Amino acid sequence: MEKKLLFKASNITKVFAGTRALKGVDLEVYEGEVVGLIGENGAGKSTLLKIIIGVQPQSGGEMTMFEKPYEPRTPRDANSAGIGMVFQEQSLIVNLTVGQNVFFGHEKDFRQFGFVNWGKMYKATEAALANVSCSHIPARKKVLDLNFATRQMVEIAKVVNLTRSSGHEHCLILLDEPTSVLNETEVQQLFVEIRKLTAQGHSIVFVSHRLDEILSISDRVYVYKDGENAGNMPTTEATEERLYEMMVGHSTTTEYYKLDQQRKPEPDVVLDARELGLKGVFKNVSFELHKGEILGIVGVVGSGKEDICSVICGDEHPSFGELYVKGEKRRYFSPAQALRDGVLMIPKERMEEGIISGLSINDNIALSNIRLLRSGPFLSTKRMVKQTQDWIKRLRIKTIGKDELLASLSGGNQQKVVFARALCSQSDILILNHPTRGVDVGAKEEIYGLIREMVKQGKSVILLGDTLDECISMSNRVIVMCDGLVTGVFDAPVENKPSQVSVVSLMM
Amino acid sequence: MLNTFNSSIVKKAVSKKNVMNYISFMAIFILVLVFTAMDSSFVNKANLKNLLSDTAPLMIMAAGMTFVILLASIDLSTGAICSVANVLVVKFLSIFSEKFGNIYLAALLSFALALVFGAFAGLIIGLLSAKLKMPSFIASLGLMSVWKSVALLITAAPISIPKKSWGAISWFNINFGVIGFPLILAVLLIGFFFILQSRTVFGKSVMAVGGNERAARMAGMNVNMTKILAFVLNGVCAAAGGIFLAAKLKSSAPTVGDSFTLLVVAAVVLGGTALSGGKGNLLGTILGVFTVSIIRNGMNIVGVDVFWQNIVFGLVILGAIAITTDRSARSLVIK
Repeated sequence: MEKKLLFKASNITKVFAGTRALKGVDLEVYEGEVVGLIGENGAGKSTLLKIIIGVQPQSGGEMTMFEKPYEPRTPRDANSAGIGMVFQEQSLIVNLTVGQNVFFGHEKDFRQFGFVNWGKMYKATEAALANVSCSHIPARKKVLDLNFATRQMVEIAKVVNLTRSSGHEHCLILLDEPTSVLNETEVQQLFVEIRKLTAQGHSIVFVSHRLDEILSISDRVYVYKDGENAGNMPTTEATEERLYEMMVGHSTTTEYYKLDQQRKPEPDVVLDARELGLKGVFKNVSFELHKGEILGIVGVVGSGKEDICSVICGDEHPSFGELYVKGEKRRYFSPAQALRDGVLMIPKERMEEGIISGLSINDNIALSNIRLLRSGPFLSTKRMVKQTQDWIKRLRIKTIGKDELLASLSGGNQQKVVFARALCSQSDILILNHPTRGVDVGAKEEIYGLIREMVKQGKSVILLGDTLDECISMSNRVIVMCDGLVTGVFDAPVENKPSQVSVVSLMM
Repeated sequence: MLNTFNSSIVKKAVSKKNVMNYISFMAIFILVLVFTAMDSSFVNKANLKNLLSDTAPLMIMAAGMTFVILLASIDLSTGAICSVANVLVVKFLSIFSEKFGNIYLAALLSFALALVFGAFAGLIIGLLSAKLKMPSFIASLGLMSVWKSVALLITAAPISIPKKSWGAISWFNINFGVIGFPLILAVLLIGFFFILQSRTVFGKSVMAVGGNERAARMAGMNVNMTKILAFVLNGVCAAAGGIFLAAKLKSSAPTVGDSFTLLVVAAVVLGGTALSGGKGNLLGTILGVFTVSIIRNGMNIVGVDVFWQNIVFGLVILGAIAITTDRSARSLVIK
C-alpha cells in the first residue's frame, strides 16, 4: 500500500554570515513513519530542523506540508501547520505540573471569571496524554518528580496537542537527539511510545548520534554530510558500516592539510595526564603529549573531550588524577596559572571566549603576553605596536590598521588575531579547541599551515578538530572518547592514517 | 553618489558611539549659556572659583569609579566610604594634634588613616565581587548601609576642626586665579589614572575584563586581581574625596558623602563610560564631572530647591544611560 506524503523539503540551503551550513538538502516524510536523520556534528541536521520548525528561515529551497506550500515564520506557524518539535535540551519547567507545562502559554483558553480553571485544564491534559497513549502519566504531578523518559513523553504530548489543536489529523514531530538524556530502559520506553504514535498515523523525524538506535526505531534513514545529502535508504537495507561510510564520505586531499609537513614528534614528554577525571564528566584519562606533537582528541558532543581541555588549561580543577607539565606536578586554579607554565587554550566559542570585540587588534593580540611588554612600570607602546604590525603581516590579517576593533573583522581574521595572541604568548603547549570553527575554506588552510609551523618550532598541540577528517589528518596521534572514557588511541603517521570509519565506530 | 557618501558620513558622526563624545561638550556649553542667561552672577569670579573648588572632590571620586564601571561593576558604597573617611579625618586630626603637638604630622597621619580605611573598604567589595562572585551592586548596597552607620557611630553630629589645626588644611584654599589647588590635584590624579588605564598591565586588564571577562580569563589574565585592585583604587579615591570635603567644610559631617554616589555615577556615565563595561576613558570623566558640577552649581545660583535638585540628577543619570546603553546586548547585567 502506497503511503501518503506528509512533509517534503527540497533543496534547502542556509547561509550563515558567508558560510554555507546547508548546501541543498532534501527530506521526505510519509504518514506513519519514523525517519532517522544522521550526520556528523555540523552536517546540518539541527539547522534543517530549526528551519522546519520556523526558528530561522531558509536561504533557499521549498517545503510542503500536506502537499501544500509551507513557509513558517515562527514556531507557532509551524504548530498550526501540524509540525512540532522536541528540543535537545528539555524545555519543560520542572517546578510546574504536567498540565501546566502542556498548556504553558495557553492558560487563557481555560479562563473563567479572570482566573484559570485548573480542573478544566487538567481534564484537557489527561485527554492530551491519552491521545499519545500516555494516560498513565498523572497530570497534576510536578515535572520534577518524573524521570527523563516520562518528561520526554510529556514534551511529546505537549507538542502533539499543540499541533492537533491546529485541526490536522496527522502531525509531524521532530525529535532532536531525544535519547541523549535517557538511560537504556528509558530509551526502550520512549521507542514503545513512538511506535504507538506512528500507529495512529503521526510521523516522526528522529535525530540521533547513536546509529544502533536509528537502526532499531526508524523506517527510513537520511544521511547528511557537510550540509549535503549523502543518501537515504529504507532501514532494512542499512547497516552500521554502510551508514558510517556515508557519514564520513571520502577523505580530502593531502595538500589541504599540508600532510607533507607533518613531522615526527620528539621523544621528550611535555605534558603527562595520569588517570585524570572530572566528576560526572570523564574519568581515567591518561596520555602523554610529546614535544612537537599534534595530539587529536575526537568524540561526539558530550564525550568529555572539551572538558579535558578545560582541565588542562586551568579553567576547571580536575576531581581525580594528576597532571604533570614539563615534569612538574601541577594543579591549576586559573588559566593565568597555566599560562605561566606555557599552557594556553584557544577556546571554541570565539565571540564569547576568544576575543574582546570592543577592543582593538592591538589590545587583543597583547592579552596573553601583556606582562612581557612592560618596560619599567609602564607598557612599551612601541613594542606593542610593533608586535601587532608584525603579526598582521605574518598572518595576513585583513584590516585597516592596528586600531580596528575586533567586532568589525571577519570570523577568519578574528581567529587569526586569536592565533597571533596565542603565538606571541610564548606558550609551548597549545590547546586548540575547534580552531577552524566558523572560518571559511581559505582561512582554514592558512590555519592548518600555521599549526604545522607551530609544531615545527617545537611547540606541542592538543587539537579538537571541527571535523573528524581535519582531526585525523592534522594529528600525529588520535585519542577517541565516548561517554567520558577513552575508547581508543590511533597512531596517525602520514603514510598510515586511520580510516574515519574505524575511528567513528569507537565514538558512538 | 556624492550625496550618499555625505549622508553616510553624517550618519556615522551622529551614530550612538560618537554621540557621547560630544554630548558632554555640548551640554557644558549649553548649560553655561542657560545659567548665565538666567542669572548673570553665574559667571562672576567668586562663583567660578566656588564652582571649580566644588568640582575637586567629585572629580577625585569619579576617577576611581571610572575603573569600577569600566569593569562593568558599580560601587554604591562610594558615598558612604567618603563619609566615614571624612569623620575619621576630623576626629583623628584633633586627637593626633593633641598627642603630637604638630598639626602637619597629625594631618598626614589622619589623612593616611582615612586612605587606608578607603583601601580596606574597597578591598572588601573587591573580594565579595571577585572571589564570592556577588553582583557588586548588591554587595556595595549592603556595605553602603554598614558604612553609613559606622560614620554616624564615629561622630553622630558634625564637629568642626579646631582653629589651631586649620594650618594643616589651608592647602585647600590656595588659588591660582579662579583655579584652586584641589582642582589641580584632582586633574593631576586623573592624568595619572589616564596613564594607568592606557599604559599599564592593570589598565589593559580592566578594559579586557570589562569588555569580555570570559575571554580575558581564557587568555590568561588575572581577572580577580584586576577587579580587587580597581575596587581598592575606588575606595582610596572615595576616601580622598572625604578628606577634600573635610578640608573644604573645616568640619566633619557623617552624611556628607551620601549625595555623592549618584553624582559620581552620573559624572562617569555622562563622561561616556559604558555601564556594560570595557568602553570609555578617564578624559571623558573630566567632562562628565564638569557637566554635573555646572548643573549643581547653576541650580543653586538660580535658586532651585534642594529636593528638586535630586530629582534633576536622577533624571540626568537616567537620560545619560538611556542614550549610552547598548541595547543589542543580550543581557543587562552589572557584575
